[in-house]
Amino acid sequence: MRHLVFLLPALLLLLALPDTRGRYNDDFDDGEDIAEFDDNDFAEFEDVSEDPAVDVEKEPPPRAAPSSTPIEDEEDEATVENEDGQDEFEDADAQDQDMYSKYDNEEFEGHEKTNPSFKDTLIYREVPAHLQNSWESYYMEILMVTGLLAYIMNYIIGKNKNSRLAQAWFNSHRELLESNFALVGDDGTSKEATSTGKLNQENEHIYNLWCSGRVCCEGMLIQLKFLKRQDLLNVLARMMRPVCDQVVVVSQKIVLLSLTLPFPQQVKVTLNDEDMDTFVFAVGSRKAMARLQKEMQDLSEFCGDKPKSGAKYGIPESLSILSEMGEVTDGVMDSKMVHYLTSHADKIESIHFSDQFSGPKVMQEEGQPLKLPETKKTLLFTFNVPGMGNTSPKDMDSLLPLMNMVIYSIDKLKKLRLNREGKQKADRNRARVEENFLKQTHAQRQEAAQTRREEKKRAEKERIMNEEDPDRQRRLEEAAQRREQKKLEKKQMKMKQIKVKAM
Amino acid sequence: MTVNNMADPRRPNKIFRYKPPNTETNPTLEDPTPDYMNLLGMIFSMCGLMLKLKWCAWIAVYCSFISFKSLKCNASGLLSISAVVMSYLQNPQPMSPPW
Repeated sequence: MRHLVFLLPALLLLLALPDTRGRYNDDFDDGEDIAEFDDNDFAEFEDVSEDPAVDVEKEPPPRAAPSSTPIEDEEDEATVENEDGQDEFEDADAQDQDMYSKYDNEEFEGHEKTNPSFKDTLIYREVPAHLQNSWESYYMEILMVTGLLAYIMNYIIGKNKNSRLAQAWFNSHRELLESNFALVGDDGTSKEATSTGKLNQENEHIYNLWCSGRVCCEGMLIQLKFLKRQDLLNVLARMMRPVCDQVVVVSQKIVLLSLTLPFPQQVKVTLNDEDMDTFVFAVGSRKAMARLQKEMQDLSEFCGDKPKSGAKYGIPESLSILSEMGEVTDGVMDSKMVHYLTSHADKIESIHFSDQFSGPKVMQEEGQPLKLPETKKTLLFTFNVPGMGNTSPKDMDSLLPLMNMVIYSIDKLKKLRLNREGKQKADRNRARVEENFLKQTHAQRQEAAQTRREEKKRAEKERIMNEEDPDRQRRLEEAAQRREQKKLEKKQMKMKQIKVKAM
Repeated sequence: MTVNNMADPRRPNKIFRYKPPNTETNPTLEDPTPDYMNLLGMIFSMCGLMLKLKWCAWIAVYCSFISFKSLKCNASGLLSISAVVMSYLQNPQPMSPPW
């Protein structure tokens, strides 16, 4: 019976404790319950379960906030709390009994006193990125992929824009070209020389068109050099430094037309031999002229003077002229040409007529025997497309008058003839250039000849050394010696002759 | 008498075929950027694979993208993509910026 009397309050207590805890379960996370009832990691938690229960009970409000943090945080928090709880336990050991009774009766009513030290020591540690399982931690990768996608988008958009511009140009110029050339569009691969009737796309920003079959012209190559709109880096660079698209027209042998279109459109026309007299001439923007004079082989050799201002000939100041002689300028700059240049000065980058055209100066490597570069009668036109990069297909129509100028120049240059004096001067210039060239290369050619001679001697000596038969060796050596003696004698004879002549 | 003042300048018998300009004689005409990008891409992808640096592999991918369009050369593109994939297989952590 006595045992029962003692047991009853103990039993009651035991029953009450889970109840109290149970009541607070609503306030706590499930995690807390799990923590309490786990028997391995949180064993220590269970031993002092009453105290942490008490201490934790003290702060259901602050705990409500942390309860929303991820479960991983809880682990850390749990450990933190454990430590903190344990600290508290040491302090609060004596007060256990009182606390219990308080909580039993009051059930937290009005008891919102939070333990300040507990709260202060509650540190929210940041979970390292590699333990987090969220997409946010991969922000760098997402940035990279976004960048790649942006590049691809820009590529597609840029390529399409260039393609549209090229097509617009061709549509506006097709009629003019087809009325002037028998062959419009040729990529050189087909067996038959038939007009393909379309541009030849070299890459995403360069389109070629080859026209042939005309008087005074071997062929005309039109190159549409668009901006690299398909390359994002280029697009960004262009924001710093505005550049134009260009159209380059190269006409060879027949009518050299080098029109530099503002939009780098290059037109190159090659002329027949009888179709162009011998002269070198260029007109264009001042910057372009300065650059061409340095870069181009023929301009640097034949047009030594600084570019003259165009104002003297009735064209705008912005254009300057490089010419072999004044007569050439007078001949080229007739009224119609002046009219063309004046009305389209902003679109003209450079116009280069030359019978000695060989392209830009090539850096010769050491030790190479130099030959005069091959020259062709060429007309080179470079035009800038208006719009400064922000071109629309409609701007292509504005280039049509320039192509008319090209055709006009082709026909005109056929008729342009220098007078006798001019011709003589031109011939003298060409002879001078050739002589200079030979002089410059003389030293190099001599060196080349010397090395060749030495190589021969060495080869011969080796042959002699390799001869196994001693007799033959001796004979070869003697033959070599005799040859050398003969050479020396010859040289001496020459020197004597020169001396006699000099005298 | 009908005089055709605008005589047809076309001469079908004077047609010359198009000859692509020989780029060997004019090396200045070629744009060297795609070649450099290709090389850079290769170098970065090797660095990324050997040193297990994720940002190297990503830069390699970018370089090969830039040169891919011009050269149509897939070797460095595939190499850079494999560098990225290998880096992530070996170490699935997110990339930390190199600074």
